[in-house]
Amino acid sequence: MKTVEKIVCPTPKAGEQSCSGIYGKGKVRKRREWRGVKDTFYDYTRWLYLLGVIGKFIIKPRNIKGFFRYRWMMNYLFVPHGMDKFTIGLRDEALRMTHIAMNYVIADVTQAIDNCFRGDRRVGNDKAYSDRCVITDENSMTCFMMGFDPKVVPAILREVPTMFAGNIFNQFSVTHYLDVAQEHGLPGDVCPMPEAEAGISIDDDFCVLGCCAVQNNTTCDGSLMGNGIIAKRLEREYGIPTFQLAAPLRHKEDDVLEYAAQNIKDAIAFIEKHTGVAWSWDTYFAAAKRVNDATRKRVAQLEINCTNYPQFVGAVFSLYNDTNYMGNCGRNEEFCRKDKKLLALAERGLAAKHMMAREYRHRCIVWGVQPQYLIDMLYWLVQCWGVVPLTDMLSMVNTDMIAEEDTPENREQAYRDMAMLNMEMIMRNHTHGGYKVLVDELWEICEKMNADMVMMWEHMSCKALTGMHGMFEEQARERGIHIMWVSHDLCDPRVFTRQAIRDQVNLYMRTVMREEPLDPAIEVIDDNEAW
Amino acid sequence: MRDLKYLTYFENLLQEANNDLITQAKAEGGIAVAYTCENVPEPLLNLGRAFSIRLHAPHTGSIDIATYYMTNLLCEPSRALLERAVEGGFNFADCVITPDGCTMMNRAVENMELLHTMGEGNPNFFHEYMEIAFKDTEADVKLSVLQCTNHILKPLHEHYGIDISDKSIREAVAEHNRMCRAIRAIGEFRKDEHPRITGYEFHVLCLATYVCPTALVIDKLEETLEELKTREPDEKAARARVLVVGSEVDDSGLIKLIEEAGAYVCCDRFCFGSFPGRNEIVLSDEEDALTQVCRHYIHACQCPRMMNMEKVYGRKQYVIDLAKEYRADGVIYEQVKFCDPWAYERMLGSTMMRDDYNMPVLSVDRPYTIDSSAGQMRTRVQAFVESIEIKKIQKGGQA
Repeated sequence: MKTVEKIVCPTPKAGEQSCSGIYGKGKVRKRREWRGVKDTFYDYTRWLYLLGVIGKFIIKPRNIKGFFRYRWMMNYLFVPHGMDKFTIGLRDEALRMTHIAMNYVIADVTQAIDNCFRGDRRVGNDKAYSDRCVITDENSMTCFMMGFDPKVVPAILREVPTMFAGNIFNQFSVTHYLDVAQEHGLPGDVCPMPEAEAGISIDDDFCVLGCCAVQNNTTCDGSLMGNGIIAKRLEREYGIPTFQLAAPLRHKEDDVLEYAAQNIKDAIAFIEKHTGVAWSWDTYFAAAKRVNDATRKRVAQLEINCTNYPQFVGAVFSLYNDTNYMGNCGRNEEFCRKDKKLLALAERGLAAKHMMAREYRHRCIVWGVQPQYLIDMLYWLVQCWGVVPLTDMLSMVNTDMIAEEDTPENREQAYRDMAMLNMEMIMRNHTHGGYKVLVDELWEICEKMNADMVMMWEHMSCKALTGMHGMFEEQARERGIHIMWVSHDLCDPRVFTRQAIRDQVNLYMRTVMREEPLDPAIEVIDDNEAW
Repeated sequence: MRDLKYLTYFENLLQEANNDLITQAKAEGGIAVAYTCENVPEPLLNLGRAFSIRLHAPHTGSIDIATYYMTNLLCEPSRALLERAVEGGFNFADCVITPDGCTMMNRAVENMELLHTMGEGNPNFFHEYMEIAFKDTEADVKLSVLQCTNHILKPLHEHYGIDISDKSIREAVAEHNRMCRAIRAIGEFRKDEHPRITGYEFHVLCLATYVCPTALVIDKLEETLEELKTREPDEKAARARVLVVGSEVDDSGLIKLIEEAGAYVCCDRFCFGSFPGRNEIVLSDEEDALTQVCRHYIHACQCPRMMNMEKVYGRKQYVIDLAKEYRADGVIYEQVKFCDPWAYERMLGSTMMRDDYNMPVLSVDRPYTIDSSAGQMRTRVQAFVESIEIKKIQKGGQA
């Protein structure tokens, strides 16, 4: 089997060496982690900043009204606690990168909720605003909005705060909606994410706003099929017309590109018709430059993670990339500034050879789809077992540059670029398009990043991924790569509890790898009741 | 009723994936083009000496090997096909053409390819994967034409020298239409108050048209049609007439079970059923045949993964129109367990049938072969039949 060099940190990290003391049996942790004076102060002030962001949001009367109208708003009471999940054991640059990226993601989601409530017919009911808004799917590349000024035509990703983000902060956030969908006749064996979204729609718990909606078929059959349920309510009850943007599945084949591009054109025409706002090429190409900038920075971060001292890793790397690549798509300039800061920090950390744990034993690629309610587990993985998650499947997205100069040829190319981005949305760019992008590319990434281990999130309802289970096993064996299967059910902790997920790692590391944990005190964490 | 002359003959053809007619066609120099999805334009697989064979796995028992490769969370049909491929049951195939339609079926075929389950000793053997349309627009027609050209016609021509000319396509469509006319005319008898064919018999005939070479089943179908014209129906009417909608039904035992439980299956709207799969393709001389075939398939398509809302609403309207035409008292929405597209379609369809159309509906999931769940299914259908009877009584009609 392949082995990698063990890297040992020459000096102990500042503050306490084990995080075990911070966990209890309750909903929240017993106390904050002691990271030494400098880092504890930084961590605490950033935590206060986050409280400030949330305070500024909730102080608005319409948001208080929204808080009492929508069941899912309860999840955002747990944000201050939720942020701490991502920082366990972190110091120095890693701590700062996590705060910069994650705080911005949270601020972005907060803004999304604020926008939703502003236009929501039941809450803010700002009709003039609502009439300019376009509802888009949660799992949607917003590239087809790149030519619309976000201040003039806001894209409303209403499923992100309602479903996706809420589950990060409260593990039980969607169980009610899953029950609703299943009571309505949907089987329990489909992916819980589109199922929960269908449940929210059936429960009539989405904000209602916008002059039109664009849905698409990323990420999977379930996601595609859930659209019909949501669109029926939008169209027939609320009179909001919907457009279905098709993204071909065989996205590596040249013979689907024109079709995908035509769909982008049709989506843009649909938005122009309903918003009354014309597509601007100036706005588009400015956004395209930012998309390329983000791509270059992401590739640079991955290059750093190829070294012995990876810097920006784990769930925050993934969540930040998701938000930037998919939800932002170059429309917001602030991401460029964040990207620059993050890269500078990563370079500084690399130069100083800073590590997140006292020992790195294995270099690991995280493949598959993470459990949303234990998305922070990768930090535990490095602290408890010294397994460094170099990158994850969701972060391995497009690395090609798109056309960014406004020329007549590039205007046609732009449709193809948007089509390519739309097809290569996070996750589906690997889970669809044939086994080459799912299986073969994994081994290429292992080779490039010098990984000796793959942690395979086996989201049990993800048919595209589990359909290749045997092939992963056999090919990993042939290549001498350790493959650690970790099953879960995405956002339903009733199927796999958090500890049941961690136990799969514990079992593999002890029985197959025959290793003892770096920090045995956190091998079992009693957080089944925690938010 | 008297037994149909060729019923046993057709039943026997369904007992093996590699049935006698495939052996015969291969012996006569035919090229077996295997496929797995109804969205593949069937006549394009029947050009020249090529003949289409829809893969199925009759008498599926253990699917342990496929479960190792694909886990027990994928639908049973996809695992049953992989298992059968691993066992060598599809060795007759000279190529496999698969659309990236439902993910699980696509993964099943990808596993077949990676495990080299077929094509041993045949240097011309190939696998092709194609994109299929998502919506009913002209852009989708263009996509379909391109995909069929690149992934069906060109490979067939390059590997086996098949004539892919417009003339050849028109000949294949003519043969396809002849088969469709026969099966549709046979199905028409199901509209009668006292039908002269059972739902089970019809299903056997219809399934045979997919899993046998078209040219070799037409004669027997037409003979059966003639026989039905003079067949004496049973005098006793069924307690309830039902339309079955959903995932593919490869096990005719399911239809038999429904009919034994007191219902008459008067119409079928499932994958590889007669609606819309056996609609005739009307060609004009004003446009090339390939484009017209592709347009026909997209326009007629009732696959749940067609995502534009006209199609989403249209699928339910199509079901209710069929129910009216075939005088169904109720609709059974069935779904093979773990099938994502039909899981959602079953939920939305059954809800809309009840709420929007006031149509009695039974919503069930089931295994690939009904034997492992016969008791449960029988109870559900019996209860459904009784509920329909009660509704009739409440309306003042006779049960």
